Amino acid sequence: MKSLYEPGTQDLMQAVAKEASQLKGSDRRDFLRKGLAVAAGVTAGAATPAIAKGNSADMAPNVPSWTKQLGRGVVARPYGRPSDFTDLQRRTVPWLTASPESSISFSPLQDLKGIITPSGLHFERYHGGIPEVPPESYQLMVHGLVDRPLIFTLEDLMRMPSVTEVRFIECPANGGMEWKGAQMEALQFTHGMISCSEWTGVRLSTLLEYVGVKPEGKWVLAEGSDAAGMSRSIPIEKALDDALICYAQNGEPLRPEQGFPVRLMNPGWEGNTSVKWLRRLEVGDKPWYHREETSKYTDLMPDGRSRKFTFVQETNSVVTNPCPENPIKQKGFIEIEGLAWSGRGSIKAVDLSFDGGVTWRKAELKGLVIPKALTRFSFKTEWNGEPWMIQSRAIDDTGYVQPTLAQLREERGTNSIYHKNSIHTWNVHANGEVHNVQIT
Amino acid sequence: MFKLPSALMAAALLCVGPAMAADFGRPATEAEIAGWDIDIRPDGQGLPVGGGTAEQGEPVYEAKCAMCHGSFGEGVDRWPVLAGGEDSLTEDKPEKTVGSYWPYASTLWDYIHRAMPYTAPQSLTDDEVYQITAYVLYLNDLVEYDWELNQDTFVEVEMPNQDSFFVDNRPDVVNTRCFENCADPAALQVVGTIGGVSPTGHFKEDSGVASSHYGDDAPTDEGEAVAVALSADAIAGEATYQQACLACHGSGIAGAPKVGVKDQWTQRVAQGLSTMVEHAIQGYQGENGYMPPKGGHMNLSDEAVAQAVSFMAESSQ
Repeated sequence: MKSLYEPGTQDLMQAVAKEASQLKGSDRRDFLRKGLAVAAGVTAGAATPAIAKGNSADMAPNVPSWTKQLGRGVVARPYGRPSDFTDLQRRTVPWLTASPESSISFSPLQDLKGIITPSGLHFERYHGGIPEVPPESYQLMVHGLVDRPLIFTLEDLMRMPSVTEVRFIECPANGGMEWKGAQMEALQFTHGMISCSEWTGVRLSTLLEYVGVKPEGKWVLAEGSDAAGMSRSIPIEKALDDALICYAQNGEPLRPEQGFPVRLMNPGWEGNTSVKWLRRLEVGDKPWYHREETSKYTDLMPDGRSRKFTFVQETNSVVTNPCPENPIKQKGFIEIEGLAWSGRGSIKAVDLSFDGGVTWRKAELKGLVIPKALTRFSFKTEWNGEPWMIQSRAIDDTGYVQPTLAQLREERGTNSIYHKNSIHTWNVHANGEVHNVQIT
Repeated sequence: MFKLPSALMAAALLCVGPAMAADFGRPATEAEIAGWDIDIRPDGQGLPVGGGTAEQGEPVYEAKCAMCHGSFGEGVDRWPVLAGGEDSLTEDKPEKTVGSYWPYASTLWDYIHRAMPYTAPQSLTDDEVYQITAYVLYLNDLVEYDWELNQDTFVEVEMPNQDSFFVDNRPDVVNTRCFENCADPAALQVVGTIGGVSPTGHFKEDSGVASSHYGDDAPTDEGEAVAVALSADAIAGEATYQQACLACHGSGIAGAPKVGVKDQWTQRVAQGLSTMVEHAIQGYQGENGYMPPKGGHMNLSDEAVAQAVSFMAESSQ
């Protein structure tokens, strides 16, 4: 098939190939230290088809042991769990934060298919640990500039008209460790602060209509009942648009990590505004300027000034296969896959580059394309050992084109922490290994 | 599982609009609202009656705050730094503190009251919150030691960075959907990662994931001048390195791994940053020499040592 990069990129690719050969050299040193097991993996590597690793006694022509005995019966596990042969995990980067109660874990995007994140793998972010809230003691207080200050029970909320929507939640710090340079050799850590679920609950607009917002009510303070008392000021426009008071995720009650029994969900906005363990909504005429909208979640610009109320998660995308955790193990056919999303609407298109952004091709969108949800893309091609600088570039239905890292840095410098949505680069080496690099 | 009579749910669905009015929730009493309505605004709305001075706040801060935030607000380990950082917001390593960054003093009162101390939130009296707030402002040279902060004097506090915030003006960057000749291949610079900062415990040796991801090899080599991007910690650690570490680690005396000589660092980096930092802080007897705790500079904070370690390790990849 046609080469995926133009002749003009030869120099760059040769440099990449040289790096790859150096890597192989260091792997050889590894071989001396770690012995044959590793060496077998390295030399087999990408060059030859995968050799089956299973127990031959259970493989053709032999009849597998599990075929010759009964398995577990129904409700042996009343709430099922993943196969013992799988190992999907949220993971954290311990040095990022001072303590696990105020920390972050990342979704294993490298292991997931489709667009829905299993509830147990939804990324976590807390500022004061996970409270265990008994649903019978749950109360949602709505007051301030309203006609009728009310307290709702969980049953009240569940009796109200409900909606169900697939939406992503993303921490605005997703990718934030890489403003100054590439740091994380793993997709899970470069992009794993995003997850996508089917959420069910009551529109906040329904609730506010019910209590009656006074004309001077312009902002809503959402406050959690966790030890951080997480609080954010939400403009009334968003509250009356698509914000949700959620009690269910992927068909079941919210997980404790996601705010059981009730959370706010602001579709497309920075995850921090989707306050969990929601206990109180106060309508006011001005924003409150609490800690998480001043000291944190503001974006420091190169001139020393800062953006505030940077709510929207702008269009972003990343290739999930291959990635550092998913090296290419075999030459020949490969389906490049990845995820794209936009906090402003739907993903309209995704383009791929294999040469570091010199030339681009159109990928296809795969499966459901839903506004403010993860959208999967795909590109079927062949890989025959040539080095790739693979990038994805998403375009949303507002026409916004995902920017390059250079463009973002030019405008915002490297100290803004949040909202780094630039085009990401994976460097596929000749042996199929994949490394996180930045192209400047 | 939620228990909900399905008949009720059906009824609710039919009752959209005014008919919904009597069905959901109950009036919140003033006492109930007073118990939960704790938020404070920049204009002072929500502040309770009370007050306190920095002088009164100092012993409270020392007892309840200093173990994480440091006696001078300098921050212990990775806990937030509260003071200092003046004029640092345009620097490579901005220090965003109450004094250098926070736009409103009300935020400080609100946050201390709702979420501090970290292990015992909403345990402070209102007067204690005023006292600690005053003390943190005092640590930032924003109020006098004996000046009383109360619900009336609150608006007198001027925060230096208050006018530096502006409302989100994104989209601020415009990219175009180019397909051919979108960049000059000769001008592209490829920068790899810093070894040793990614957690790699889940990269199993038989998974096919490159051993170079384990942290003992980065895709660079001696003789090949590939730029290494330093982390924020490493950049911050350079000054400490120059002041406290250079004597041994710049020359390699006493068996110290020499900065910039990759072979002397690969195995150490492979142990992980936290191990290296632990050895640097607590001291370590190696095969070739002895690393005294903090290199003998016991005045250095743990964070400063950690940053210096990051600088040395990253500069030696």
